Amino acid sequence: MADITSDLKADTTSPAQWSRSKWASVLLLVAVVLTTLRYGGLLPDSLHRIPEAMIPPFAAWLDVFFNFVKDDLGLLTLTRTLTEGLEWLLDITANLMFGKRRWPFIGPIPWTAVAGVAAVVGYHLGGWRMALLGAGTFIWTALIGQWTIAMETMSVLMVAAPLAFFIGLGLGILAWKYAAVNRAIKPILSVLQTLPFFTYLLPAVIFFKVGPTAGAVATTIYAIPPMILMTTLGLQKVPSEVVEAGNMSGCTKWQLLRHVYLPSARTEILVGVNQVIMLCLAMVVLTAFIGMPGLGAKLLAMMGSFKLGRSFEIGVTIVLLAVTLDRMSKAWVVRQPVHFERGTPWWRKHIVLLMCIGVFVFFCIAAQFVQVFAEIGRKQNFSQGKEIDTLIKGFLALDPVQNTTQAIRYVLNVWILNPFRDFLLSIPTPAFILLVVAFALSLGGGRPAIYAAIFFGLVALSGWWDRSVITLYSVISAVTLALLIGVPLGITAARSEKWSQRVLLACDTAQTFPSFIYLIPAIMLFGITATSVVMSILIFAMVPLTRYTIEGLRTVPPEMTEAADMAGATRMQKLMKVQLPLALPTMAVGFNQAIMFAFFMVIIAAFIGTQDLGQELQRTLAGTDLGKNFVLGICVSLMALTFDLTIMKWATERKKALGLPD
Amino acid sequence: MNKFTTALTAGVLAFAPMTLLAEDSSDPIVIPVHNWSSQIVMSHVVGQIFESMGNNVEFVTTDSQAVYESVRLGDVTLEMEVWEGAFGASFRAALEKGGLHDAGDHDAVTREDWWYPMWTKDACPGLPSWEALNECAAVFATAETGDKGRYLDGPVDWLKHGQERVEALGMDFVVVNAGSAAALWAEIGAAEADKRPVVVFNWTPNFAEAVWPGEFVEFPEWVDGCDKDPAVGPNPDALYDCGNPADGYLKKAAWDGMKDKWPGAYDVLTKISFTNPQIAEMARLVDVEELEPEEAAAEWLEANPDVWQGWTS
Amino acid sequence: MTAETVISCKNAWKIFGADPKKYLRSMPAGLSFDDIRADGYIAGVKDVSIDVTRGEMLVIMGLSGSGKSTLVRCFSRLHDITGGTITVEGQDLMSLSEKELIELRRNKMGMVFQSFGLLPHRTVLENVAFPLEMRGQDKHARRERALEVVKLVGLEGREEYFPRELSGGQQQRVGIARSLAIEPDIWFLDEPFSALDPLIRREMQDEFLRLQGMLGKTIVFITHDFDEALRLADRIAIMKDGAVEQCDTPDQIVLNPATEYVRKFTEEIDKARVVRAGVLAQGQVMGEGEPVEASASVQDLARLLVQDARAVIPVAQSSKVIGGMDRAAALEILLEAS
Ligand SMILES: Nc1ncnc2c1ncn2[C@@H]1O[C@H](COP(=O)(O)OP(=O)(O)OP(=O)(O)O)[C@@H](O)[C@H]1O
Ligand SMILES: [Mg+2]
Repeated sequence: MADITSDLKADTTSPAQWSRSKWASVLLLVAVVLTTLRYGGLLPDSLHRIPEAMIPPFAAWLDVFFNFVKDDLGLLTLTRTLTEGLEWLLDITANLMFGKRRWPFIGPIPWTAVAGVAAVVGYHLGGWRMALLGAGTFIWTALIGQWTIAMETMSVLMVAAPLAFFIGLGLGILAWKYAAVNRAIKPILSVLQTLPFFTYLLPAVIFFKVGPTAGAVATTIYAIPPMILMTTLGLQKVPSEVVEAGNMSGCTKWQLLRHVYLPSARTEILVGVNQVIMLCLAMVVLTAFIGMPGLGAKLLAMMGSFKLGRSFEIGVTIVLLAVTLDRMSKAWVVRQPVHFERGTPWWRKHIVLLMCIGVFVFFCIAAQFVQVFAEIGRKQNFSQGKEIDTLIKGFLALDPVQNTTQAIRYVLNVWILNPFRDFLLSIPTPAFILLVVAFALSLGGGRPAIYAAIFFGLVALSGWWDRSVITLYSVISAVTLALLIGVPLGITAARSEKWSQRVLLACDTAQTFPSFIYLIPAIMLFGITATSVVMSILIFAMVPLTRYTIEGLRTVPPEMTEAADMAGATRMQKLMKVQLPLALPTMAVGFNQAIMFAFFMVIIAAFIGTQDLGQELQRTLAGTDLGKNFVLGICVSLMALTFDLTIMKWATERKKALGLPD
Repeated sequence: MNKFTTALTAGVLAFAPMTLLAEDSSDPIVIPVHNWSSQIVMSHVVGQIFESMGNNVEFVTTDSQAVYESVRLGDVTLEMEVWEGAFGASFRAALEKGGLHDAGDHDAVTREDWWYPMWTKDACPGLPSWEALNECAAVFATAETGDKGRYLDGPVDWLKHGQERVEALGMDFVVVNAGSAAALWAEIGAAEADKRPVVVFNWTPNFAEAVWPGEFVEFPEWVDGCDKDPAVGPNPDALYDCGNPADGYLKKAAWDGMKDKWPGAYDVLTKISFTNPQIAEMARLVDVEELEPEEAAAEWLEANPDVWQGWTS
Repeated sequence: MTAETVISCKNAWKIFGADPKKYLRSMPAGLSFDDIRADGYIAGVKDVSIDVTRGEMLVIMGLSGSGKSTLVRCFSRLHDITGGTITVEGQDLMSLSEKELIELRRNKMGMVFQSFGLLPHRTVLENVAFPLEMRGQDKHARRERALEVVKLVGLEGREEYFPRELSGGQQQRVGIARSLAIEPDIWFLDEPFSALDPLIRREMQDEFLRLQGMLGKTIVFITHDFDEALRLADRIAIMKDGAVEQCDTPDQIVLNPATEYVRKFTEEIDKARVVRAGVLAQGQVMGEGEPVEASASVQDLARLLVQDARAVIPVAQSSKVIGGMDRAAALEILLEAS
């Protein structure tokens, strides 16, 4: 990153930037001096770390506050009442999907009926391929013996996703309508998007009772932000003449919203729906920590008893579900209404619905007579858990694999990671903050620098400084490695359309595959060490880097590359002088996402064994330490936000300077 | 309800005193399940027994520490496995706050301590004595630990005091904390491939016994107060200079309201007692035979009617 | 016929910018459009005073960006004016409550938009029936009515199409049909025929003329096409930089342009087609012989003007002589055109 920035400075030497980088250098210098003093033993301890006594008891204050809100203001009573309503909904879907003994006592729906309907809907949306994907996913789930647990998951998502949709839509409309709401919501959304999920989980349990209700609530909250953003965006984009036409037709405010705005913002709203679905699926495993039943809980249990094969199969199910729902909802987004000729009979207009009902009823009846149509019993299923186990273990035990990983482990741990960590820990707190501020200043300018100072100052005051630094160290190490691997991979793939597609597909898959499953092979290869942690983050962080590199390079306007060709540039020159500089702002977005993903994954990596914030967070889950949980979560969020603000600022400025579209 | 439970119900109805059945509430008894197999199967076994008595049963997945808070509040009704070592503290804390109570012990002991898989013995024949382990510390060395041995302790929040013990006994070991149980198994699994010697934290009853035969390291025997009074144990100046108790309890816990709401089921709960081999068998059905927990429970019930039918009559 | 004023616009201003109200209050009098722009504001409508009478067809013309659409939007209160007053049927537009405004639009006003403003998710029929639906009309009645106007604009057979599936001209006709559906008293038409081919355009013009003549509709019509304006207009308003330069009957505009700008703007027009005998009739000398019709244009009378020898030709309206036309002056206009 350093090279790139200095490079850019050179070609945009506006006076403002000059003073920016000058100031940054000054800050850097002070930091170096402070650190040197520390090494020389001249810096008093109170300047190295904030003394214990001066750290305000945020957690205790927050606890007092939470207890006040929870008990004295009666929030708990309220949420527990809400829980009952939610439970009622969840009971209905649970009865339908897997036959929980609750009203309406008609489930479970036979798996063949679900697969059949998925096929019809798939066909309607995307032809035979989509039909195959839809039916295939559910057939796989049934045959592999995961039907019930998958439906446990689905029954919660079927409640959480619509909830997230409606709440997100409502808030999105409010934010679009009232500037004040928008101003209030924006920062909350940024924090929510960077807050570690463990911080959602504990309040969910406390306020909404352990089990599917808490799971549904945590999932809902996690999935709301993009829905809000997309709704607002969509509504803003409705052409003014369409709105005026609505006005002139005598619409009331409500009619205008209902009949004009919302239908016209259809595309963006559906994109929001797609994102809601994807985020809901991302929470499947994480919510298992607070008692959400289903695939996630099963996965954790399988990992807890070292069944790699079965965990892997569950992972595949989750990926398949995600891919199916993703593709179908995306197909729905691009699908535009098509007219029927006049005089088309009623049944033709509703053929899809009729087919769905037909298939559904057929299989429901068939299931009464043919047992396998209703349920595939344990002994009939085709799980290959043990075989996959042997395969994975065999692969991991191969000599070349072992030798390579041993070497990597040794080099990384002994020479790079541990010394780097110790170095970061040896920097005095004020010097560290100055470093971060200098970074923010030189990249993003004054505003991000001020935020960086405030945010990291707060982290220092939280009393979790060392753990925060270790968290940051894992993130930095992993993202640096991800840069070294992901960017060249992206550059290579971007050369041909075919490879771009393949690599992007791999990125999609890697991203939807439950991250927990990476942990075990990582440990088996690299032991419980920093290398495992960094490696498991690396896989995750590489995805956006590679994706955005490919996208950035492939969207460079062809005139520009042609101009370079005409000027007789070699391929390398073209890449370095034309394509990369133009793709850089897009790549920076990928870089930013990589950091955000790394902050996400570093928390999960606590399950390998770390000494960072994630470990403490994981620990709070078992208790009722809401205050501490929140303080820890905010620490992660503040660090992530600092990077987010800085890098995004840089990317937008840069894009504007280059005259690229947003 | 599957055929098996229907048959069971019929069978049990003949035995069971009708008075008790009539009194139990029709609300579901909520049984928590955690993420290790013996507990899951045992919970299903008990659940199916309750169902056979005509009760409604529901299972929820919960955290094994947080569950006591839920039992206390009545969100879940009971807990089948309260381990002295692992959950004693949470259990006692909840007990003090009130709302749940001790529903009797299983006829089983629990133990948790330093442990090694059998192949380790080839590299360090003096085991299981801790002194012998310390002698061959170098065998357990890794790239990061230099020439000291590496001991993989449970997650920090389990508070297993591995570090303190190493210091108290002057052992040549570096303590590394795993982040989760899964991480422990992954390490053992990785070591299994080339039969690399490892020493890790482990406990019994546990599925691992069935997968990797092994033994606990024998430390100086546990004496009460070893964790509170430095004078106790071989090192007069240090705490934690003994091994953990080799016979910890395994309890059941119940919500205070259970007795009144489901008197029949409560009565059975207090009578239930499983032994170590029975628990191991339950775990084996899932871990080795790869049955689903419900099926494993049904199978176990079918195979051991003499064990449980006494409790329901 | 007593001219009843339907829309009355007095010193209306519409300024775009950060805080237009404040700006207008503190603005010194006599600032030009460019002065205002230099202050960071745009004067969409600049001090416009104009009255539209019942049954009149007022055509607004002007270059692109001169504020035509903005003015019409002020008439329908799609824009809140920054200053001045606009009254519609005696009600001050700006003081209307939301409910009253909705009532007014539902029952009295219709508008056709420059870029159609169709709802993309509704079929042709549903788009046309939309205002009726908003009024709460029942399903069958509004369907009947919608089918009727869809037929009127020649889109029969395309009722179930979505806007996306139609050509520009067809889309525009949907917009026209939609505004026709509620038979409004006051009609705002923002370049309603711009995307139509000449044949259909002609038909549509005739249709509007018919409606206006038959039902006495008040129409404010924006167009760039002079032929169209001359065909339709009772009066023409010519706008420049937000202000109305002149508003008068077509022949007056042509004969007596108020400003240099209007003169330039109307330069290209064939005056002989515009100027009618009635306008040239002087009061004092009646002339003798057979009178000509006041509504006949100079061009219509070309043959007569050339062949007749009278210096002054009488002009009659409803068989009553109203004045005499100076033949030389009329010939002058005729010659100037050719
Ligand atoms: N919502 C708005 N915000 C700011 N400026 C506007 C807005 N609407 C119109 N304007 C400005 O007001 C001026 C008049 O625009 P208007 O649309 O009325 O022009 P017009 O005469 O209809 O042009 P055309 O013939 O191209 O339709 C233009 O300079 C335009 O930029
Ligand atoms: Mg216009």
